[in-house]
Amino acid sequence: MDKSSSQRFDPLTRTWWLKHRFFKLYMVREATVLPLVFFILCLLAGFVSLLQGADSWQGWVAFMGSPIVLALNLLALAASLFHAATFFVLFPRVMPLRIAGHRLPDNMIVAGQWAGVLAVALLFFWLLGRA
Amino acid sequence: MSKQAMNKPAMNKPAMNKPDNPQGTTHKQAFDEPLWWGLFSAGGVCFAVFLPAVILFVGVLLPLGLLPAEALSYQRASAWLFSVPGVLFAGAVVCLPLFHAAHRLRHGLFDIRVGSDTVNKKVMYGAAALLSVLALGVVLAGMLS
Amino acid sequence: MSGDKIGTDNLNTKLISVKRYLPDRSTEPYWQSFELPVDDSTSLLDALNHIKEQLDSTLSYRWSCRMAICGSCGVMVNGIPKLGCKTFLRDYDGEIRIEPLAHFPVQRDLVVDMEIFLEHLAAVKPYLIDDNPVKPFDPAAPQTYQQSPAQLARYKQFANCINCGLCYSACPQFGLNPEFRGPAAIALAHRYNLDSRDHGKKQRMAELNRHEGVWSCTFVGFCSKVCPKHVDPAAAVNQGKVEAAKHTLIALFKG
Repeated sequence: MDKSSSQRFDPLTRTWWLKHRFFKLYMVREATVLPLVFFILCLLAGFVSLLQGADSWQGWVAFMGSPIVLALNLLALAASLFHAATFFVLFPRVMPLRIAGHRLPDNMIVAGQWAGVLAVALLFFWLLGRA
Repeated sequence: MSKQAMNKPAMNKPAMNKPDNPQGTTHKQAFDEPLWWGLFSAGGVCFAVFLPAVILFVGVLLPLGLLPAEALSYQRASAWLFSVPGVLFAGAVVCLPLFHAAHRLRHGLFDIRVGSDTVNKKVMYGAAALLSVLALGVVLAGMLS
Repeated sequence: MSGDKIGTDNLNTKLISVKRYLPDRSTEPYWQSFELPVDDSTSLLDALNHIKEQLDSTLSYRWSCRMAICGSCGVMVNGIPKLGCKTFLRDYDGEIRIEPLAHFPVQRDLVVDMEIFLEHLAAVKPYLIDDNPVKPFDPAAPQTYQQSPAQLARYKQFANCINCGLCYSACPQFGLNPEFRGPAAIALAHRYNLDSRDHGKKQRMAELNRHEGVWSCTFVGFCSKVCPKHVDPAAAVNQGKVEAAKHTLIALFKG
């Protein structure tokens, strides 16, 4: 008898990731790009409206304020923060940083990246928080 | 009882007992993957570091009218976007995150077994490239006009 | 469980269900339940041995060392790959479902065919490759592979792999595409690439810089979660991507 003829093999079904929590969180992480793409498309429309003139720009701002668009962009905001939380912890594992032969502690690298997020937010506040 | 039967049964047992070099393609190098992964990684950093602030201010506070009246007026917004920093803004907030998204969508489709990776790859990275050209084109057009 | 003392006096019974597969009797697998006495020190491997010795001698499974170093007793426990000897029944409430390691062909009961893993392992050349091997020992002029503690530290974590295959059962990318070299093989390749005594990186990069090499990985990260030796194969694979990218750039400029 051939060794493999009596073997059984279960191929993965396309719902494999529903089997447990870890894989569901992985899929949520991967899906953060869906609301991201929506926001980028909105932003691109904003770019085009700027090219077209002041009225078009006002129309775009009004469009961004419509309830569904606003809700999806709030979702994109949450997705970007979730993405950041999952992405930052990967960095020290993919590129362990060494200074003078010593490996930088992982939590220092993660904290550094969050400081970057905060710095960008402060820059925006400084630019846009006042007229 | 032959230990190594020549013809494998119809059982789904891929890649097993294969010769070392089936079609002489064993070491087919993936020279494009480093590029996609590099763009994915750079886009991931932009998505994590820049996008929270951009979405908060442009996608939420601006339409809600929570920014000072002239903070993003047409004059101010177009002056900012149609400039050299505007090109960098488009690259960091549109182009790179698009390639990040394209990479994840491509692998996500493979994960849920939709389509073929060869086609998905072309569609995803192609769309990211097209939209990137559009974004940079709009900014450059604005700078020239 | 946290504060309680772990002892052998805390006797009770637990229900274990095992996915049986006896190809000489039926082509279909089936579930069989066993109720057995356990205490706080009962490992899953102890439980399987108890079943084999007392309840049903037809049960097949692999084991050897009982101390998480031989890597033979990997099974799925409630859908998560675990070493039987390192899993204690005291940590589980309710029914415990035992299946053979996922993503491998099953030969019988809990015994899987790991041949493809061994093929992947061999393909990445997980051994020292040296252009100038050490000469035969000469007491007058001893010449040995020398390595500083700092050089050792660079790869030590990735050298702890025991080839148990849990990471392959945790990896959906290997489940979706068995041609993917997979976590342990790539971690071992990375371990030798980081070794100061090795000169085989170029040969291994040709293997790693393929779609079925590092590029199939999407950093799900579950391989590292289930690794009983804390090797962190996900980190190794993704550091391998950085190396593969460098390798490609160098190849591009050298033509």
